[in-house]
Amino acid sequence: MRKLTFVLLIAFFAVAVLRAQEGPPQGGAQRGGAGARAQKQAQAEAAERGRKTFVATCAGCHGEDATGGRGSDLIRSALVRHDKNGDLLSPVITAGRPDRGMPGFPLGEKDLSDIDAFLHAQIDLYDMHTRVPGGYPDDIPASRLATGSAEAGKAYFYGAGGCSKCHSPTGDLAGIAKKYSAPDLQQRFLYPAGKPSTATVTLPSGKKFSGTLLLKDEFTVAIRDADGWYHSWPLRAVKVEVEDPLAWHFAQAYKYTNADMHNLFTYLETLK
Amino acid sequence: MKKLALILLAFAASLPAQELDSHKLLNPGTDSWPTFNGDYSGRRYSTLAQINQTNVGSLTLAWAFQSRSQGSFTSMPLVVNGIMYATLPDQVFAIDARTGRQIWHFQRPSQGGGNRGVAMYKDRLIFTTPDAHVICISARDGKQIWQIQIADPAFKGFASMAPLVIRDHVLVAGSGDAADLPGFLLSLDPMTGQTQWRWDSEPKPGEPGSETWPQDSDVMSRGGGMLWLTGTYDPELNLTYWGTGNPHPVENSEARPGANLYTCSIVALNPDTGKLVWYFQPSPHDTHDWDTNMTPVLFDANFKGKPRKLLAQAGKEGLFFVLDRTNGKALVSAPLGDSDWYSGWDERGQPIPRKEAEPQPDGALVHSAITLWNAPSFDPQTGLFYVNERDWINVYYLTIPGKKAQGWAGRDFTVVGKPFLKALDYQTGKIKWSKEGTGRGGGSSGILTTAGHLLFTADTSGNLVALDPATGKTLWHTYPGAAMGSAPMTYELDGRQYVVTPVEGVIYAWALPAR
Amino acid sequence: MKKLSLMLLVIFAAALVVRAQDDAPQGAAAASQKQAQAEAVERGRKQFVGTCAACHGEDATGGRGPDLIRSSIARHDKGGDLLGPVITGGRPDRGMPNFPFNDSQVGDLVAFIKAQIALFDLHTRTPGAYPNDIPAERLASGSVEAGKAYFYGAGGCAKCHSPTGDLAGVAGKYTPVDLQTRLLYPAGKLPNATVKLTSGETLTGVLQLNDGSYVAIKDKDGWYHSWPRGAVKDLKVEDPLAAHVELLHKYTNADMHNLFTYLVTLK
Repeated sequence: MRKLTFVLLIAFFAVAVLRAQEGPPQGGAQRGGAGARAQKQAQAEAAERGRKTFVATCAGCHGEDATGGRGSDLIRSALVRHDKNGDLLSPVITAGRPDRGMPGFPLGEKDLSDIDAFLHAQIDLYDMHTRVPGGYPDDIPASRLATGSAEAGKAYFYGAGGCSKCHSPTGDLAGIAKKYSAPDLQQRFLYPAGKPSTATVTLPSGKKFSGTLLLKDEFTVAIRDADGWYHSWPLRAVKVEVEDPLAWHFAQAYKYTNADMHNLFTYLETLK
Repeated sequence: MKKLALILLAFAASLPAQELDSHKLLNPGTDSWPTFNGDYSGRRYSTLAQINQTNVGSLTLAWAFQSRSQGSFTSMPLVVNGIMYATLPDQVFAIDARTGRQIWHFQRPSQGGGNRGVAMYKDRLIFTTPDAHVICISARDGKQIWQIQIADPAFKGFASMAPLVIRDHVLVAGSGDAADLPGFLLSLDPMTGQTQWRWDSEPKPGEPGSETWPQDSDVMSRGGGMLWLTGTYDPELNLTYWGTGNPHPVENSEARPGANLYTCSIVALNPDTGKLVWYFQPSPHDTHDWDTNMTPVLFDANFKGKPRKLLAQAGKEGLFFVLDRTNGKALVSAPLGDSDWYSGWDERGQPIPRKEAEPQPDGALVHSAITLWNAPSFDPQTGLFYVNERDWINVYYLTIPGKKAQGWAGRDFTVVGKPFLKALDYQTGKIKWSKEGTGRGGGSSGILTTAGHLLFTADTSGNLVALDPATGKTLWHTYPGAAMGSAPMTYELDGRQYVVTPVEGVIYAWALPAR
Repeated sequence: MKKLSLMLLVIFAAALVVRAQDDAPQGAAAASQKQAQAEAVERGRKQFVGTCAACHGEDATGGRGPDLIRSSIARHDKGGDLLGPVITGGRPDRGMPNFPFNDSQVGDLVAFIKAQIALFDLHTRTPGAYPNDIPAERLASGSVEAGKAYFYGAGGCAKCHSPTGDLAGVAGKYTPVDLQTRLLYPAGKLPNATVKLTSGETLTGVLQLNDGSYVAIKDKDGWYHSWPRGAVKDLKVEDPLAAHVELLHKYTNADMHNLFTYLVTLK
């Protein structure tokens, strides 16, 4: 769990770093790649060091997660939220708040900035809106999700679910639990998005075109053929047959019960 | 009577030419779109019929306005005295509504985000910003007059809604779903920005509604319920109607047992005092971020043979309600689509949420219809309520259990969704017709209906379409290059009807070919 | 002349600074950065004149040594990465000695050479690149007398303007090139319009648009109005520059020089 939290911190710290900058982001092209990653990594490491210092020094009053206890909740602290690089926080840590019973802690600059990094990462963790891109819950351990019955899941796989018509635990699904994080595995068996449909378009002349379906709305059909060329036609002028490799998953998504989901996941999780 | 008309005329003539006459807010006429929804009712129905089923096929581009700016128009433009006012975050454009040419441009440094438009008060425009400011500028030249701050961005507070002007009140609110902020609605003095009154989404301890929160914690004092979409107003009843957002912490049930009033509610407030007159709660004890901010649409119509003052709303929780807007009593409670998160209806006509559908540590699979903020429309000619809806499947994980939880406290993802445009009978809630869109997620666009027996919207492939509102049959379509995040609006100038569709950074005005 | 080229250098060095960055810095910071860059260029120029000009020319266009404006090394250089080693290491094979400058001095030299390249590359029609450095004495090649005669006679300038009224001290108000441009055509004044509507109403203001389909004006209070052309019964456009437009087709080259030479006397 600690390791997972750490991973999360890295992810959210990047967001924090971006947000903390004043004005529009500067020159993306050069700054993107390696430099940004190294900065993220450094921030995450600082936050992790800060966490250790915090647990040892501050957690007694403010709680291990900084949500408070004997001392105040630092996630909801206006002082921490308005702090920039320790400008507000560090003086409070070093001088204490004698009037409120907080002693001063004679920490060095590095410890102070690490604690600052930890607290801002912690705030981002709490503030995170899960539908923000990159906010996907990859930190949930398989043990927490595998609350169903592997037996019932297996029965569903070979029975009511009809999964075994296309999939096999020793074939395409062999070792599947190792390939994906637990939440990814759960999401992918519910609906493994990303596989495009193929279409065969028959023209009035009888000529047929096949390829990857790019668009089919009320008016237009468009494909990319095997040679990579794009074609489109007004829908009313042609006959279109679409083959959707996910059609079964799409229909099934609306049939799963909550219990089916947990049982099937618990079964799939055994395929290591 | 003649004398009175003369006096009125003299009064009107004494106004500087391009100001918004306050009467226009009550009766916009066909040449104006002076508020977010076009009028106070939120119906988004226009009596214009120059563009109609017989000629819509020849609809053509009258003009296009290029913002030459990053950012998408998610705002509703206003049109007052031939001038259009449209916004991007931290930007306002004044545009000639006849020609599409820019008159002036207001811009302040922006951090991005979204914005839904300006409100107009006499010769002033008022709008909100991503850093939670309310700014008042001159409609004449875009010069700033005043600004105030209404929430703290350090606590993820922001603002995006278009304010609502009622007489000398500017109603405005902030947003923010991350850090347990209390929801509120402010009434500001349009001359100075000073607060006239403040309504809090949560009651104070001991007040009515406080019994729907735990008594042994202070979670009520920061319980959410943001008002982030412009409300509606009934001048006869002198009531303003608003939808409130979800409670906090968002996906944790245990920290806040109870119905959590007045979150996820429709509230009727007195615009002069901010006092609550009645409420109705479409998503009691919400744990799924199903804000019920969606427009409370007002119309007067026969209900079971009797004329009634009605309010209809399709909310993010995927339900459709028709209320008596004098008292908030439910007349119709119906699903928009397939939902399995509630077990039935309580005595008030509100849904009873199922405990098992709440976010769980191992994930809860929830089927739910859903509709987003993009405008619905009520067409009095068909008696149908139109809404873009999706049948969604989500998994909700509780990640911070316990009573001390704060913030989001959960995670969720959308497995897949089916998009529909649906037409509902307001007297029964039954779906009269339904049109499935393409894609398995897809965007969502607002809707406009007109007396020309037309429904304008965008489909989930991004096509702008005009449909027969009685059947859903497509009568006109074009692809504007991107999806319309906002909604269509319409006005008539010099005898020519324009239908306007903001699409990403471009505003398109469609009309019949010029004679 | 020196002062003017310094001014130019400031302007073009600033342009360089802006280009060299991915995003233009804002406000005060940008101004002080521009200033610093201009100072570096000027320091570099002094060093260049003292050390390099003997071979490469004062303007860096070459002499005994190669032309640095057309030098591939100078053009591809970024922050001294290519020029630095050549300056400090020399090019013994081609007879160039080495110069033991420190990093900061090399930086100044590079700033100067880059500014010189920008100066030579400058396209005069680029916005902001207006040739404001041409001195009045170079332009005032006509006859004051003839200019004055034109002013009061054939030119008809005196119908609207007076050397002791609106034009008093005009030569002190503008750079020579600006003065010449403005006497030929003082652009920027929008026409006034009187719009008589079919409804009988008449409005006046500054014309914003008259494209055949629509007429738009801004009234004296700053409000914008527009009408379809069909709603406008009568449109009177009064162009305050009409006389200048007319004159533009009549000026001879000699008229321009004479008139300028006369106006320059109005200090």
